[in-house]
Amino acid sequence: MARMKFICDAERCIECNACATACKNENEVPWGVNRRRVVTLNDGLPGERSISVACMHCTNAPCMAVCPVDCFYRTEDQIVLHDKDLCIGCGYCYYACPFGAPQFPQAGAFGLRGKMDKCTYCAGGPEENGSVAEFRKYGRNRIAEGKLPLCAEMCSTKALIAGDSAVIARIYKTRVVTRGKGEELWGWTVAYGGSDKVSDNLGGPSA
Amino acid sequence: MRILLLAPAAALVLAACHEIPQDAAKPYAGKADVAPYEGGIFNGDKQKFEQALAERASHENEYLRTGDAKK
Repeated sequence: MARMKFICDAERCIECNACATACKNENEVPWGVNRRRVVTLNDGLPGERSISVACMHCTNAPCMAVCPVDCFYRTEDQIVLHDKDLCIGCGYCYYACPFGAPQFPQAGAFGLRGKMDKCTYCAGGPEENGSVAEFRKYGRNRIAEGKLPLCAEMCSTKALIAGDSAVIARIYKTRVVTRGKGEELWGWTVAYGGSDKVSDNLGGPSA
Repeated sequence: MRILLLAPAAALVLAACHEIPQDAAKPYAGKADVAPYEGGIFNGDKQKFEQALAERASHENEYLRTGDAKK
């Protein structure tokens, strides 16, 4: 069984924001909500690096652990999704997430929060696959169409890659061997535990 | 005698020092979801679904096109 993950290659990301734009467009994400965003460190200085950040679909997802209404679930492919019909917009998941992935649309005056919204790995949610209800609540279900998340497929430099962990780790390893540097897999230790070196992750998921 | 008195007292004091596990498996309380390969273009064919995803993932490796990767 596949274990879907993201890899963002800081050596390649050029901060073009195509991933964030593709995600917004594909899923018709509401105004003020960003399921994916690009974070730049040391902007304008030597050694500047950018990383595309969204939900990493963690092995031991903290959002899942803290949700008071238990609205999170994990698919067969280890994608972390949630039921918006159950979400009460409490914001606990936002505080628990190490990646700042959960987002909340403003639902009214006085900062009233709406239902939590986050990256679904373009896998929709607990509605009929490809239905209008699923699209309205969660966005496109590309996985059910045999496609990968658009942010990764759209990435022009292939800094962001998505897919089964064993497959994408092999792609990344080829890259690291060819260029001779940058073996670290950003966010993998936090999201999945274990090592952040690609050479330690080639055997597939450790958890 | 002192040990007999201190041991239960220490146990009582330290009882508050443990951490409640926060990652205990909690049941999902929402609507059931179906697998992505159920219905639609795959019509329950999981193998075909996995092949489709693997093929898409292979497109992310530009070295397959350029052929200039170091072995």
